[in-house]
Amino acid sequence: MEYEKLKPPVSVSILVLFALILFSLQLMSTATQESSELSAMYSWLLLINALGSVVLFVLVVANIAALTRRLKKREAGSRLTTRMLSLFVLQALAPAAIVFYFSMQFLHQGIDSWFNVEIDRAMEDALELSQASLDQRMHWHLMQTQQLAEKLQLSAEGFSAHEIENFRAQLGAAEMTLFSRQGRIIASSSVNPADILPSIPDEQIWLQLRQSGDYIALAPVSENELMIRSIVTVKGLDTWYIQTLFPVPMRIADLADSVEFAFVRYQEMNFLRDSLKLTFSLALSLVLLMSLLAAIWVAFISIRHIVAPVKELVKGTQAVASGHYEQQLPVTAQDDLGFLVESFNIMTQRISGARDEIRQAGVEVENQRAYLETILANLTAGVISFDSDYKIRTANQAAFRIFHVHVNQFIGQSLLSLAQDHAELAEPLKSIQRLLEQADDIWQQRIAFLSLNGRHELLCRGTPMYSHEGMRVGAVVVFDDVTDLIQAQKNAAWGEVARRLAHEIKNPLTPIQLSAERLQLKLSAKLEDADADMLQRSTRTIVQQVEAMKEMVDDFSEYAKTSKKQAVNIDLYALVQEVLGLYALKSGIVIQAGQDKKRLSINGDPISIRQVLHNLLKNALEATEGHGHIEVDMQRMQKNNSDFIEIGFFDDGPGIKEEQIEQIFEPYVTTKAKGTGLGLAIVKKIIEEHGGAIWVDTRRRHGAGFIIHLPAI
Amino acid sequence: MRSSAKRKAALIILLWGWLMPVPVFAGAYAAIVKDAELTLQDEDYLLSAEIQYRLSPKATDALKNGVPLFWAVNIRIQRQRDFWWDETIVEKNLRFKIQYQALLNVYRVRNEDSGEGGNFSSLASAMDALSSIRYVPVLNKSTLADGERYTAGLRVLFERELLPLPLRPLAYLNPQWYLSSGWYLWNMKN
Repeated sequence: MEYEKLKPPVSVSILVLFALILFSLQLMSTATQESSELSAMYSWLLLINALGSVVLFVLVVANIAALTRRLKKREAGSRLTTRMLSLFVLQALAPAAIVFYFSMQFLHQGIDSWFNVEIDRAMEDALELSQASLDQRMHWHLMQTQQLAEKLQLSAEGFSAHEIENFRAQLGAAEMTLFSRQGRIIASSSVNPADILPSIPDEQIWLQLRQSGDYIALAPVSENELMIRSIVTVKGLDTWYIQTLFPVPMRIADLADSVEFAFVRYQEMNFLRDSLKLTFSLALSLVLLMSLLAAIWVAFISIRHIVAPVKELVKGTQAVASGHYEQQLPVTAQDDLGFLVESFNIMTQRISGARDEIRQAGVEVENQRAYLETILANLTAGVISFDSDYKIRTANQAAFRIFHVHVNQFIGQSLLSLAQDHAELAEPLKSIQRLLEQADDIWQQRIAFLSLNGRHELLCRGTPMYSHEGMRVGAVVVFDDVTDLIQAQKNAAWGEVARRLAHEIKNPLTPIQLSAERLQLKLSAKLEDADADMLQRSTRTIVQQVEAMKEMVDDFSEYAKTSKKQAVNIDLYALVQEVLGLYALKSGIVIQAGQDKKRLSINGDPISIRQVLHNLLKNALEATEGHGHIEVDMQRMQKNNSDFIEIGFFDDGPGIKEEQIEQIFEPYVTTKAKGTGLGLAIVKKIIEEHGGAIWVDTRRRHGAGFIIHLPAI
Repeated sequence: MRSSAKRKAALIILLWGWLMPVPVFAGAYAAIVKDAELTLQDEDYLLSAEIQYRLSPKATDALKNGVPLFWAVNIRIQRQRDFWWDETIVEKNLRFKIQYQALLNVYRVRNEDSGEGGNFSSLASAMDALSSIRYVPVLNKSTLADGERYTAGLRVLFERELLPLPLRPLAYLNPQWYLSSGWYLWNMKN
């Protein structure tokens, strides 16, 4: 954040960059003029500018590479950047290229136009003219010196050092020196008395002198003073040399100098023509390159700034498209794009608001549904709903408890397919299905079926459901297991019967018995033996039958009474063993308890349970007539989240007829010749009083089987 | 991962830069210091040297078209030190200029410091004159301490920066303008 604050604005950086480039280019272009003081720095300026170009080029290339990478990744805004950039580069490049082309043309033509054959010729002529003029003067001076040498030859004998002063003055020479053959100075005279030492010719001059006899040349004395040096051989007794130095008149020297300067300058320029073109082209190219590169780089930066909000927008839209409605974008500028970004933010706010509301409503509906489902699930009545094709739509937990089938797994299927897999449910399900299809209004039906746990009675209520338009959209069936209710009603009825029996039948029995005994007592003495004997037999029969009737009524009232008198913990295995001990003499009784011997305990009245065991064993013994095989299975098991002790009694007697199975536990139902028919009824009553259940094991093909479930502790 | 790769690359570049010193380009036209010596005369050391200048066709062409050429003869005397850079005791430059004079059709050679020089009718003789350095005083004997080791070095530097402006960039790019010599080093007997 601090860094952001410290960073100068982009526009300022760009201005500074352009100023720097312009300054550097201006310096270079100034340096190109030879007279400039910057000329000495030309190479450095060129190098700096070239380096600047390279840096800019690297920047541009890096930017292009980054852009290409973004394009490949199909990043947001990359295509827009590319399009804007190529447009910009094209627009910048075209005029720049045109200007560059024509500038180069003008430059080359301009430089070429400085030089032409006429000026070339004139320059050379001018130089030749000045050379000719000097040559003429030199020739003249040589002649003068030669004449003097001849004169000296004649008067060589009498030559004195004094004379040389006169000769020099005569000729108008600046200096005159006489050398011996060996180069020794014989005599010398100078126009300037201060010059004691005359100008001495060098080795090369001596060499030339010895070869050709005389020498004439221009000798630059100082920077802008020329002398004509002529040396001539003086022949005489000894060979001498005379050297004269003539000054070139100032005016001529100046002119010659000026011509030479111009010529050299022209020559140099001509020679440098190509290099000059190259230099200017280089400078021009550098200017173009730098400005273009800088412009492209700046274009990159400014386009990045322009595209940034668009990029954000694209990202934002993508986020919204993928479901992130909370997207809020930073508003960076107060322009059209800024307005667009603001609108986008408002839009996403609204969308996310609406989405939240929908979600809230959805949650509420869901809660409501879950609540209803909870209620349905916790109902003791089974509820199954159907769609318009009578396929199961929902089913609650109670449906499972009643049918012992996971009805939930059959959603989308009809009751008939459920019936296919569970044969024992086929009957009730088929009748429900039939009722569903036929009924137009609420219906109620009691349906009985035989499950693995014995006979069950269901009270089914169904209603078809209609839409607002009156179309049938499905149906709901509610069913209750009313087995226990019906049993209770039956028990109550039997209890009432028993009470009545006791009251209405047992009471008259005693007077009947007493009356019969009195009859016998009073009349036996008065009757003949034969009649007395018959009376006695009849009386005995009456008394016996009354006794039997009393017993029967007692049994019945016993059945009608509540038998669970006390509740203690009973070790069922020990109890069964104890009861079996009483029948030990009878062979063929087997007891099996698996591994659960220690854990087979229940809470109940031991006397009642003992009676149950006695009744069942007696039944089995009677069925097998004492010769068969009786098996008692005991095990602990879990059912509907509670522990049960299962006791199975199995024999290999004749078995129970199918039509009797439904009523076998009713009082006064028996297959035996003897007996009251209350044995199994009492058993069932005791078991139910202990919260258990008993049913006939219908799976058994051979002999009879009873299964008892008692809640374990 | 990325930063370590970068570090490795940097290390390689550093090592490369260290193991591969910039090669001194001795072109086909570079001047050669044939011989150089310092002789003690009275109390001064005088330099004498023999240098072979080799002018490339381009340089000759430029010279003939009036472009002046400059050379600097660099003399450097250093005191050798064992664990440190050598200490430079004396550094001296002699600058020479050669220029063609069209009017007189001569080559003028000039010592820019002393102003001495001469005109030569041929380029060869001018270059000859340039090539020998005779008895130039360099340093006083007292400058050198006894018991120290000294190295003298001599080289000829072609002054590209004194060429006319249009030629300068080319002079850096074209080997024909690589006229400078390498260092000629010798141990001084003290």
